[in-house]
Amino acid sequence: MTTVDEKLTRVHNIFYPESVAIVGATKVPGTVPHDLVMNILRSGFQGGVYPVSPREKYIAGIKCHKYVLDIDDPVDLAVIVFPSSVCHLALEQCGKKGIKSVIIISAGFREIGSNGIEREEQLKTIAKKYGISFIGPNCLGVINTDPNVILDASFARQMPEEGNIAFLSQSGALCTAVLDYARAKHIGFSKFVSFGNKADVSEIDLLYYLGEDPKTHVILLYLEEISNGPGLMKAAEDIIAKTGKPILAIKSGRTEAGASAAASHTGSLAGSDDICDAALKQAGIIRCTTIEEMFNLAIALAYQPLPQNNRVAIITNAGGPGVLTTDASISEGLRLAKFSDATTTILKKSLPLTANIKNPVDIIGDARADRYKVAIAQALADDNVDGVFVILTPQSMTDIETIARAVCDVAGQHQKPVYTSFMGEADVSYGIDILQRNKLPHYILPESMSKAFAQAFSFRQQQKRKKNRPVSFKDVHKAKAQKVLKDAKSSGQNYLPEEEALEILELYNLPVLQRAMVSSAEEAAVAAGDIGFPVVMKIISKDIVHKFDVGGVVLNIQSKNEARQAYQKIMKNVNDNKPQAQIKGILVSKMISDGMEVILGIKRDVAFGPVIMFGIGGIFVEIFKDVTFRVAPLDRVTVQSMIEEVQAYELLKGARGQSAKDVDAIKDCLLRLSRLAVDCQNIKELDINPLIVRNAGEGAYIADAKIMI
Amino acid sequence: MDKAQIQQRIKKVIANVLKINESEIPDDANFIFDLGADSTQSIELVAAFEEEFDIEMDEAKALEVQTVSDAVDFIAGYVE
Repeated sequence: MTTVDEKLTRVHNIFYPESVAIVGATKVPGTVPHDLVMNILRSGFQGGVYPVSPREKYIAGIKCHKYVLDIDDPVDLAVIVFPSSVCHLALEQCGKKGIKSVIIISAGFREIGSNGIEREEQLKTIAKKYGISFIGPNCLGVINTDPNVILDASFARQMPEEGNIAFLSQSGALCTAVLDYARAKHIGFSKFVSFGNKADVSEIDLLYYLGEDPKTHVILLYLEEISNGPGLMKAAEDIIAKTGKPILAIKSGRTEAGASAAASHTGSLAGSDDICDAALKQAGIIRCTTIEEMFNLAIALAYQPLPQNNRVAIITNAGGPGVLTTDASISEGLRLAKFSDATTTILKKSLPLTANIKNPVDIIGDARADRYKVAIAQALADDNVDGVFVILTPQSMTDIETIARAVCDVAGQHQKPVYTSFMGEADVSYGIDILQRNKLPHYILPESMSKAFAQAFSFRQQQKRKKNRPVSFKDVHKAKAQKVLKDAKSSGQNYLPEEEALEILELYNLPVLQRAMVSSAEEAAVAAGDIGFPVVMKIISKDIVHKFDVGGVVLNIQSKNEARQAYQKIMKNVNDNKPQAQIKGILVSKMISDGMEVILGIKRDVAFGPVIMFGIGGIFVEIFKDVTFRVAPLDRVTVQSMIEEVQAYELLKGARGQSAKDVDAIKDCLLRLSRLAVDCQNIKELDINPLIVRNAGEGAYIADAKIMI
Repeated sequence: MDKAQIQQRIKKVIANVLKINESEIPDDANFIFDLGADSTQSIELVAAFEEEFDIEMDEAKALEVQTVSDAVDFIAGYVE
């Protein structure tokens, strides 16, 4: 069995091999097998290069071997470029040769359907047999810019500059576009990996590897599908906690009509992208929506120290852009720094009378490098400043390049972040080039600059947060709940009506109201009297999911007589609207109306497992969509953040003279629900809607619930 | 025509299309992995087999045939 360390060693050898065999090489220019050989040679790789080709004798003057087994020397890495139909033969030979690290470039596997799936499984079997770790298939390859190895085992057009950003992508084509984009902005990479179908080495393995890679400070991830959500979350949490390296991700498919036509409110509100969004955030991964947004933040994180707080100083030679940047900064939750008296005094002495020495500092349109230098240096030296934004617009006397160099000089002298925006395009381009080459983050628009700073600050705050342990309960009855659910499933049920759902919730000590099942009008009257008025009466049938829709609910029953009438009315309505439904009885329960209605739910997500939902409840829940999600198990801090995240939190706190609600009771319910979701894997969806939350200290009560299994 | 004769003629066709010596073609050689046929040559091989044996093969199935020995069995199904 392969250990984690062994796998990491094999992944390491993919990036740092001493010798590489290109299996399936040809000398036809413009083909993947040819260009890949040439990229390895051109990149300056210093180790042994062995083209393996059934027909060629030499490629680029290097002797070819017919089979990888014919190579006398040891080989650390094989890059397979054969057509998919024979990749298994090549991999088998790699195994016999003792090669443990492989990249399979070839397409024609899982991505093409059943035949391809079979081929991919064959590769996995061979890899397992020989203890091989492989990247791919269906990928662009791997690039390592570390000067100790310099390996371009890909068919990209260009080798990127060296840098401290690692880029991992499921899409090969996106890789080439990103390389081109980054080259224009002098953005360098430590490692660049297209991992394709991730049949063996996954993004999770690569994250763990890059977490340990001293050359990588920031990790970028492009994903098309998440196959192991909990694994991805754990890897991200481990890496961020251990190394502090930020992980930025684009997960495509945001616009997918994720919310299915579900039977529960939770099911219909929890689209797969909403869950993905919540899960990545929960794990500390910063989700970006565009490549531009991702790199805007990546350069900030990779080039500059993290802001310790959110007070920024703006240095500009133009008033308008200064105001724009101020607006953008405030919108992003940043604050304008208030300079110390010392700073103000020096700025007053050093800048012309017409300059605005308050933040945003306007050093006036005719400013040259000396004014920029003094203003930036003073701002950075001020303890009230956590970062500086430098803005330039090109006037006739603006010496753009000299100013750019001056900004680079002064920025490097302080351990505070400096971001720049030289506004315009043509005239400022040489200045921007200087900034980018010197690794100062540059943004065309001040809005992007402010956003990147705010995201970097948010990451800094997140780093400080401590990881809490999930809460466990002694007063829950896991085995009994599992049995009820198992029995229901065995009897062919896909839905647990309210009475059975309440039974499950009661086993987890969730606050279920006093209730009784009745099967006659007279029984209803007696039960209502025993429970105490007002009561609510509801039809119970495994065939009726939405009780209101069939007239199966009567609220606010105030007397025994009303209870008798309600019984007759419900039975008639159901008989008229759903005559085939099997009726189990009518549930009489205490009615609580003096509280705020919230919804709690469970949805089992394909990628992330059990997900807990919280939000504002009632019958309009789908209209307001004021809900939030987290992947179970939950801890106390996570639960608190869920509650604070919904817009209606202000109401729970007690807005406009209303009493604060019992938030502690909601927290307890969410933690218990999380435990239930983890313990009972066959709950597909669960709704508690509403949970009626009374004033602080008075508790919360479940008014309705349903479970899908 | 027995299988030995079919194999001999198949090897002759392969040698012509891939421009290699017949003696370099093992009986169980894989067209791509052992003999280095590319996708164009695979299609040329199918056409050349059809001409050699005066048969018309199911092209999709013929392209799935990967080795000399499988080609012998496949073509035998048409010429017998």
